[in-house]
Amino acid sequence: MKAYLDNNATTMIAPEVLEEMMPFLTHRYGNPSSFHSFGGEVMKEVEKARSRVARLIGAEPEEVFFTSGGTESDNTALRGGCSINPLRSGLLVSMVEHPAVLNTAKKMMRDGTPVGFVPVGGDGLPDMAALAEMLVPETGLVSIMTANNETGTKFPLAEVAEIVHPSGVLLHTDAVQAPGKMELDVKAMNVDMLSLSAHKFHGPKGVGILYVRRGVDLPPFIVGGHQESGMRAGTYNVPGIVGMGKAAEMALEELSAVAGNMKAARDRLEEGILESCPGASVVARDSDRLPNTCTVLFKGVESEAVMTILDMEGICVSSGSACSTGEIAPSHVLTAMGIDPMTANTAIRFSLSRYTSGEEIDVLLDILPGIIEKLRRISPYA
Amino acid sequence: MWNYSKKLMEHFMNPRNSGQLPNPDGRSEVGSPQCGDAMTLDIEVDDDDRITDVRFMTFGCAGAIASASALTEIVKGKTLDEALSVTNEMVVEYLGGMPEEKFHCSVMGHEALEGAVRDFKRKRNTVRKHLEAMFRDLSWDSAGVLGGTPPGIAHVHPSRVLLEFPGDPGEGAVEAVSRELSGRVGRTVEVKVKR
Repeated sequence: MKAYLDNNATTMIAPEVLEEMMPFLTHRYGNPSSFHSFGGEVMKEVEKARSRVARLIGAEPEEVFFTSGGTESDNTALRGGCSINPLRSGLLVSMVEHPAVLNTAKKMMRDGTPVGFVPVGGDGLPDMAALAEMLVPETGLVSIMTANNETGTKFPLAEVAEIVHPSGVLLHTDAVQAPGKMELDVKAMNVDMLSLSAHKFHGPKGVGILYVRRGVDLPPFIVGGHQESGMRAGTYNVPGIVGMGKAAEMALEELSAVAGNMKAARDRLEEGILESCPGASVVARDSDRLPNTCTVLFKGVESEAVMTILDMEGICVSSGSACSTGEIAPSHVLTAMGIDPMTANTAIRFSLSRYTSGEEIDVLLDILPGIIEKLRRISPYA
Repeated sequence: MWNYSKKLMEHFMNPRNSGQLPNPDGRSEVGSPQCGDAMTLDIEVDDDDRITDVRFMTFGCAGAIASASALTEIVKGKTLDEALSVTNEMVVEYLGGMPEEKFHCSVMGHEALEGAVRDFKRKRNTVRKHLEAMFRDLSWDSAGVLGGTPPGIAHVHPSRVLLEFPGDPGEGAVEAVSRELSGRVGRTVEVKVKR
């Protein structure tokens, strides 16, 4: 591999994170729930990790519940949030949510939950007027992501909260793409629930959290033992939890140091592409975006074809195309923004991390223009 | 990444017969609104209804581009009927297989071929229709180069016709028919004389 530019899909595990995990994959295998101190000592590490994650998002440790990842957290928030008050079982989600939220909402709708999908504008931001209108007395929960995984657009959660909270509606946010790329503060964002996934910020896969504001009477996620105050049963994924704790600490510490570098590198990549590839345009370029993400539309060139050649060259990116995933329709995010399906099929997403090197961007800028040119020559739409 | 065969990748990276013909005998533009792919296909056909040249342009994934390339290789030199009997499965087999989820990407090529053949036949019918009208009513021949007797129609092609004259037609007759026919059809149609 020559360039890994797909960090919104997953990130490399930080060496420091792996180092802190290793004892719990080897000799410190005790069960944190055990009576004996061999296990009890491990519980201290779980609680340390909880505090570190709480600090990352400005929460109290007891408001943080470990899960198996972002998808479980989203499922739990949506299903749990809509079941607190039977008179307020309605759900509203934006049309550009991650499938973990969107498909959960669709399933709940099929099962009888009143669900509404909030439209977005051409800038990718949710239509606040539509949201306000869609709120009805039966609405119990609104779920709007913190930043979009495809476009990087940041959503104004505090403004959303101002609209939904006066009606006594709970607000959940999928913040999976945010850590290490923007400041997170559950109080400033004014959210009641928030989902994170460790592997999106250099932690291990298979672990995440759901923040639940104190006072929100969420039902237990998974029933069994008494772990996580009875909220989420199942033996602790100790190596994962410890790794997530370290990754959270690093994301917070390095945010101020690396966010600027990441944005500079992203902007160089973006400008380099716009200069060298005729017909290229950046999606939501003028919106407030995460510093690591950019999605580019390459006029007349289907993105799976581009990705196939990039892959042969050892460059990892991802796309909004239908064909690359075996889906029948192109990106729901881009089409919700009013981009036609054919144009959405030209979208390539580049996503950086704090470990992305200048050489990786050089390699891409070296190879990409030739690929676009080659494919434009045989395209009827170039 | 899809598990693409070596041969498919080779056709994707080095597509055969890409581009467009300057004066195609048949051209089609097809698209799949569902997944947003699209392509054009041009054919050149000889007087025996045989495809002598074929070109494609594709907006689509590696599977779609390779399938179009393979299809052009398969149908080149075949008669129109033979070409239309080429199935999607034959294209996939020619490429050494394709992931099942990608089969739909290869369907577009066949639709494009059908469209190009349809366009060829439509153009040919237009030429025949005009030619028959011209020979039914010779009032356009004010100079009388045909001497009041229309020639027989031996073969019609979108860009040329083969005519059978009762006697030896003068240069003027061939030229006059070609000029009148081209004017009616809206593009140059060559007139040849069957000896």
